[in-house]
Amino acid sequence: MNKEISCTDLVQGKLDLLKTNTHNTVNSLLDNIALDLAKKVDAKIGNGEEIGLLEGIPFGIKDVYMVQGTYTTASSDLLKKYKSPYTATAIQKLLAAGAIPLVKENCDSFGHGSSSENTIFGAVKNAINPDLVGGGSSGGSAVNVAKDYTVFSIGGDTGGSIRQPAGYNNVYGLKPTYGRISRFGLMAYASSTDCVGPIAKSIEDIRIVLNVMSGKDVKDQTTYPSEKISKENSIAIDEVKSVGYFKNFIESDAISPEIKADFLRTIDKIKAKGIAIKELDFFESDTLVSTYYTLAMAETASNLSRLDGTNYGNRIEGDNLKDTYSITRSENFSEETKRRIVGGNQVLSQGFSDEIYLKGLNLRDQIAANFEKDFSEVDIILSPVTPNTPPKIGDSLKDPLAMYLSDAYTVGFSLGQLPTLTAPQGTATGIQITAAQNNDAKVLQFANFLKQLI
Amino acid sequence: MSKMMTVDILSSIKGAKESDTVSKLFDVIKKANTSTSNLGNNSNNALSLDDLREDVVIDSSQIEKDIIMENFPKKKDGYLVVAKVIEE
Repeated sequence: MNKEISCTDLVQGKLDLLKTNTHNTVNSLLDNIALDLAKKVDAKIGNGEEIGLLEGIPFGIKDVYMVQGTYTTASSDLLKKYKSPYTATAIQKLLAAGAIPLVKENCDSFGHGSSSENTIFGAVKNAINPDLVGGGSSGGSAVNVAKDYTVFSIGGDTGGSIRQPAGYNNVYGLKPTYGRISRFGLMAYASSTDCVGPIAKSIEDIRIVLNVMSGKDVKDQTTYPSEKISKENSIAIDEVKSVGYFKNFIESDAISPEIKADFLRTIDKIKAKGIAIKELDFFESDTLVSTYYTLAMAETASNLSRLDGTNYGNRIEGDNLKDTYSITRSENFSEETKRRIVGGNQVLSQGFSDEIYLKGLNLRDQIAANFEKDFSEVDIILSPVTPNTPPKIGDSLKDPLAMYLSDAYTVGFSLGQLPTLTAPQGTATGIQITAAQNNDAKVLQFANFLKQLI
Repeated sequence: MSKMMTVDILSSIKGAKESDTVSKLFDVIKKANTSTSNLGNNSNNALSLDDLREDVVIDSSQIEKDIIMENFPKKKDGYLVVAKVIEE
């Protein structure tokens, strides 16, 4: 870092931008914490001490991560005044590396949404066109990065919640392999696909933040040890020899003609560089979306059953215990959250579980087996991030089925627990780059290749 | 257990009803083909029993305890107030 601007001035400047911004990206500002940490970094620089790569770098945090002593609302009425007693592992690692948290960012309540309109803090407005949605559920995080209010932000991705808003706001967003980063301290939505991941303006920033957050954590038994991805490895662009794409995604009636044409043009450019291109068969979009939502609703019904106002949250007293539970939940959950909880309890109940939930699990296994076969034939799978450009604010709330179907291109990779990155290139909402499990480095390599190509 | 539990009771949400939108998603699953081949029964989500964390109690820090108390919804005369449990 050169000393032309102090860390304190940098942080104060970003806080000012966040405070006055009109995109509804902020749930709460962490100004005291941020300025205290900035002063310490300035003191270190003043003393001539060496500082790390992330030291003094201001970042944002989706408001579903625990940061001790800060409000963690999940953009909900129920947790409007809830304070985190502890800090999430991924965030703790960033703090230990010297990064400075500025803001808890607006998002869909409990991650339930694809537009960041399902929030008590007002719909997040798109960074490029404020009449459009910011995308979701990590909408506030993607908009903050796109507008340079934060250098990077930490989103959460269950079915596309990092990749889709990254695409809608033209920035990079990575969902790593499931288990690469600890979920401890992330409010659970659907535990079998929940992933922590970075949103940033460059592949190099994504790599650095990914390396810091990754690793085995005894507090999340699904984590695994992983090696750091070196800069050299992430720019080894000759590693990818073959690329596949799902032809049914592109031949679908639901995709906009512009996104289809731009995607196919990108494929042609890749082919012209001597990379083998293979058309792949995949499940229909409605099967992918229905499988994902069936399993995600079942998991969120279970995960959110703990939110009853007994130990924390905005309790509303009823005549007795059960009454207190149901009034608290009825009054404090949004319509979308209630829809998902009810759907989840429906599929988990006797009579439905065999016909829907267990069948959903079977379909997920088939999807995973399909990916295994595909990645024995190609190194990378490319797809558009979304079938269409961002909707106008207000449209998604009117038509939830259309919102669910807009996740068609992201949910399959979540069910496969694969590493997948939105690169802001190729189509109006970007290109999604996916590799086999644990091949996160290959995703970054291809992103660097694509950056040079387009 | 012959007593039928409706979704509003199961979900602890007053007046909750099944959603037509969600039912459309479930209809797709009902009609989908399931595989009878052995795909491992969703084993990709199972954890190894050889790699479980130690079963030990770790005391929380004082600040953690203080925040947990601060988050409690209702207090009276130094006690934490909960809804009446013994009923019906």
